Amino acid sequence: MINACLTVIRRDLLIAARRRGEWLNPLVFFVIVVSLFPLGIGPEPNRLQEIAPGVIWVAALLATLLALDSLFRADFDDGVLEQMLMSAQPLSLLVLGKVVAHWLTTGLPLLMLSPMLGIVMNLQIRALPALIASLALGTLTLSLIGGIGAALTVSLRRGGVLLALLVLPLFIPVLIFGSSCVVAAAAGQPVEGHLSLLGAMAILAIVLAPLATAAALRVSAE
Amino acid sequence: MFLWFHKMASPRFFYRLAEILIPWFAACTAIIVVWALYLGLIVAPPDYQQGESYRIIYVHVPAAWMSMFVYMIMAVSSAIFLIWKMKIADIVAEVSAPIGASFTFIALATGSLWGKPMWGTYWVWDARLTSELILLFLYFGYMALRTAIENRSSAARAAAILALVGVVNIPIIHFSVEWWNTLHQPASISKLDTPSIHKSMLIPLLMMMGGFKLFYLVNMMSRARTAILEREGGASWVRERMAQDRL
Amino acid sequence: MNPKRKQKLILIIAMVAGVGIAVGLLLNAFQQNLMLFFSPTDVVAGKAPEDAKFRIGGLVEAGSVQREADGLTVSFKVTDNAKTVAIRYTGILPDLFREGQGIVSLGRLDDTGVFVASEVLAKHDENYMPPEVADALEKTRQAEESGKAAQTAVHGSNTVQMQ
Repeated sequence: MINACLTVIRRDLLIAARRRGEWLNPLVFFVIVVSLFPLGIGPEPNRLQEIAPGVIWVAALLATLLALDSLFRADFDDGVLEQMLMSAQPLSLLVLGKVVAHWLTTGLPLLMLSPMLGIVMNLQIRALPALIASLALGTLTLSLIGGIGAALTVSLRRGGVLLALLVLPLFIPVLIFGSSCVVAAAAGQPVEGHLSLLGAMAILAIVLAPLATAAALRVSAE
Repeated sequence: MFLWFHKMASPRFFYRLAEILIPWFAACTAIIVVWALYLGLIVAPPDYQQGESYRIIYVHVPAAWMSMFVYMIMAVSSAIFLIWKMKIADIVAEVSAPIGASFTFIALATGSLWGKPMWGTYWVWDARLTSELILLFLYFGYMALRTAIENRSSAARAAAILALVGVVNIPIIHFSVEWWNTLHQPASISKLDTPSIHKSMLIPLLMMMGGFKLFYLVNMMSRARTAILEREGGASWVRERMAQDRL
Repeated sequence: MNPKRKQKLILIIAMVAGVGIAVGLLLNAFQQNLMLFFSPTDVVAGKAPEDAKFRIGGLVEAGSVQREADGLTVSFKVTDNAKTVAIRYTGILPDLFREGQGIVSLGRLDDTGVFVASEVLAKHDENYMPPEVADALEKTRQAEESGKAAQTAVHGSNTVQMQ
């Protein structure tokens, strides 16, 4: 059972390694969106510092959203998804494997870039660990929730905009706590509370989201 | 019992039942709402702190209440539809979405009008208002998903899953006041034993809530009747019915 | 037990454990100050951040409101009946702003320990009543207070729930 999940992760990572363009795009998008803000708002360091947590978080959220569209698309097109539906393993575990692999290829690089963007946005150095930690928990939650939307829209030819409409409202609580975690860290306050809240959301998403995603895949594959 | 339940669930029976109930419910709605508005806007005294402007609660609070209530109905009927494949449950969920979205919009609009004299600003990003806004987005997403999927049975099941996922948002709305403890006052009628709202003001408010609920039922049933006709257009009972009506 | 059932059982146990951990984390989170919200006592004790915006909440102290010559800048003090903090605000105050009223304000401390507000919001309580009832309550309160006044000099027993 666990093996099936690991196999899915290994397979998806291998595919991602061979098709580099796909997971690089959201990353480049992330960097460009963040650097648009100083251009649009002005280079004044204090103002940038104030908006940095929100800007980086929103950009990370949009990059995650952008990457979601491809989560089940290839498998749906080449029939692997139907194989998964018929497999003896619980579908929700296979789904969890796919989402985790997806997060490893999109969310994790995002985290690793985020300190650099924090510095570019003049964010206090003391807020950087909180930025990474909140993004780690947050983007995983986002990928899991977004997986439901991706599964609901996978059979539609132009699912991209609809996917955004479906999952963005569900993303909002994560965004609120994620960015307020960074704000609190920037103000020199303890962030333990925020992180445990984000952790709770991540665990709940791990437990519940794959069930809904599996149900949605069954509907879409009809 | 189950037989009755099953009979109730057939579109044909629902169509007939709604036909009988709608005029009665509509009359009750009109009477209650007019009476409650008279009591609330004219008879009830002004508030000791907020003066006359508090009277907007007679629209704002029932609308906010209904926005969540309708979503709960949508979620429950979606669950019934997914488990027992009951067609009528899907129809109820489908026709409730636009009504719920309208209530949410009214709650947001009146809340922001109330916010100006009370908080000094039309819009505050506090927990209640924000979750109400998220609720509106959820309604939009639900309706968009339904229209996007062409196959009706896939659309119904996909939308039902989305409604159930979105229902996670309802407790966030409900407990948001405690979570974020910001400006929005705690719910006034949560404490039934000692209501913190004076009787002369409470009675019209409760009446308005009842009136709104009836209004929803009337609206939902008449929309459901149209939806039934649309879906069951080919069924023999619909054709017989239509032939009868033409005579 | 057949393997299929065992699988299901393991999954369910894992899910229940997951929900349990999540609830534990939630409970832990709610014991922390998540909102950057401080009472005057916290601010006086130096718990509030010195170089960042935060919220302060309390009652407007009676007799502390002073308008400056430009007509827009207002200075007043908020209190939680233990400590007070001076606030300066330039802008239009909401209707409900008055002495003794609960307010929430967003801003930061300046070098002299004055809270420079960028936003003042009046928090109205959750009671709705006609003016006569409020008057009557006020009278009984005053009567009680004058009775107690012999024993204690504490003033203003109206507490407002800030949280």
